[in-house]
Amino acid sequence: MIEIKDLTKIYKLSNRRKIELKTKDTHKVAANNISLVARPGEIYGLLGPNGAGKTTTLRCVATLLKPTKGNVTVCGFDTVKSGKEVRNKIGFLTNEIKLDPNFTPDYMFDFFGGLHGVDPETLAKRKEILFEKFGINEFKNKKIEEFSTGMKQKAGIVVSLVHDPEVIIFDEPTNGLDIITARVVTDFLKELRDSGKTIIISTHIMSEAEKLCDRIGLIIDGKKVVEGTLPEIIAGEQAEDLEDAFFKVYKRTTQGND
Amino acid sequence: MKGSVRIIKKELKRVFGNKRLIFSMYIMPVILMFVIYGFMGKMMGGMQKDIVEHTSQVYVVDAPTGMKETFDACGYSNGADITYISADDFAKQKAELEFQLKESQIDLIVKCDADFYKKFESYASPADAIPSITLCYNSTSNYSSRAYNVFNSVAAPAYKTALQAERFGDLNKLVVFNVNEPELFEYESKKGTQFLSMLLPYMIVLMLYTSAMSITVDAIAGEKERGTMASMLLAPINRSEIVVGKIVSLAILSGLSALCYAVSMIFAIPLMGEGMGEELNLANVFGIIEIIELVVIVLFIDLLFVSILIFVSILAKDSKTASTYAAPIMLVVIAAGIATMFSGQDTHTIVQMAIPVYGNALVIQSICNGGVEFLGFLASVGGLIAGIALFTIFTTKAFNSEKIMFNA
Repeated sequence: MIEIKDLTKIYKLSNRRKIELKTKDTHKVAANNISLVARPGEIYGLLGPNGAGKTTTLRCVATLLKPTKGNVTVCGFDTVKSGKEVRNKIGFLTNEIKLDPNFTPDYMFDFFGGLHGVDPETLAKRKEILFEKFGINEFKNKKIEEFSTGMKQKAGIVVSLVHDPEVIIFDEPTNGLDIITARVVTDFLKELRDSGKTIIISTHIMSEAEKLCDRIGLIIDGKKVVEGTLPEIIAGEQAEDLEDAFFKVYKRTTQGND
Repeated sequence: MKGSVRIIKKELKRVFGNKRLIFSMYIMPVILMFVIYGFMGKMMGGMQKDIVEHTSQVYVVDAPTGMKETFDACGYSNGADITYISADDFAKQKAELEFQLKESQIDLIVKCDADFYKKFESYASPADAIPSITLCYNSTSNYSSRAYNVFNSVAAPAYKTALQAERFGDLNKLVVFNVNEPELFEYESKKGTQFLSMLLPYMIVLMLYTSAMSITVDAIAGEKERGTMASMLLAPINRSEIVVGKIVSLAILSGLSALCYAVSMIFAIPLMGEGMGEELNLANVFGIIEIIELVVIVLFIDLLFVSILIFVSILAKDSKTASTYAAPIMLVVIAAGIATMFSGQDTHTIVQMAIPVYGNALVIQSICNGGVEFLGFLASVGGLIAGIALFTIFTTKAFNSEKIMFNA
């Protein structure tokens, strides 16, 4: 279970960043008082445009960032006070975090399995299952640098799940993947949900959120503006589909901000 | 610390599992060292041989009585092609001969005073004129410089002695007393180590730094840049375990690289000496105690350099920036190494020896000069350990900083 309570993350902007963002503000509020709960056996989707604060939220859950205000707990462990325990409970995957290209997936699986304290017997079993499922057996002794983007992503997923984590965090899970690999990933996420795992993903692809997520939190400008199941959101916004609902909410929120 | 051990194993595998990396890091430098030193020795030896074997082209203007005979008798004429000309002839050819000297076509012009011998003969009191010789040579030409030196050390003293004998008869009256050959009190193994003790500290610190720099910058800043460092930060281990794992593994890799350089230097420098006709055998200089002291000090210098470089590399966004951070530190290392070359003291204070890098270079210098005081050695290692601990703490703090690690 993931519990996010009043999460606020404020970045101090460097001069270079100010120029990049075309702002004179010295700080940027990336996540603004976000609260949510992701439960075992469900896929929670953070939906929002680029720069809305989805990745920041997920990084706070993964212990990579510390909340400026509020707190995040994973399986009862606080991400700041018990970072090590939290990292043992989660599998985190994002395009920005990669596997060392000088090694083979076989070696990386064993290496991270060792760091997570997985015993050799369990490690061998998990390797057999996951390599088979993602079709890595054929390439397991090839260096990752020789892999295509899709293969690298698959290897990354497999390695991040080496310790059979209770909580799975995916930042843009199908980003940059071909349609076949994307399908493998989404099917696997559903499988993990059905086995009782807690899953939280971020996405800006409406169709992905519609098909995959049990509950969705719309994030705009660092704030969670709407939350619910797909039918709840569509009914609440009197919209035709998720995309329609999103634009209604987006328009209302940004007009309100103006 | 299980996490550190796994990281060490992984980092070592990254290099030792890659034949190309093994070759470029550990084999290529050894080959290059032998080729470079061997080539340098051959070139320098060949150049010296050529200079020595060259027959100097010398013009002697207005040679006084007995000069030619003395030059023949002392053997100077054998190594030089001497043309004796009168002052009048010289006046006519002056411009041409000076041009030839500039162009290195001739090597030396010896101009004797007019009435040289008469002045010598008529000398009676300090008020009388003393005859003189003026030498013209080209200091930019090796042949001309040697001709000048040989004339000053062989020909001129021989003619001076001949004229002194003519004036005083018994030359022993002039000698007054002799200074005998010195009786030497020194260790046989330490003979000729001044050159070594001047050069070795500088070479060691520089080699260790360059080896550590080439490996560390990519292993830390490169990993950060490629996004592979973050995957490690997601593992359920303390950040300090990652830092220790990185420091130890990179120290092993760069230490091995420096060791390859050092061993190849020990064997390649005599190769250069052979070419030059000199004995430069480093292997004879050190006993077992000196070797142990050297290994310990080198090991800790290596760890210090790696911990400093890991710290600056983690501050950088990418490998390129990390290299620009590491370059000025190299200047400090070079300055510390060079400072020991000219420290000019046989003994150094404990405080001096405790200063990282500079003090360590002094200790290496003392080891080469016949041994280092144990307390000074301990102070030096203590200074290094303090430096390593400090940079390990800094690096761990940097690993915990989301601004540094994720530009947040």
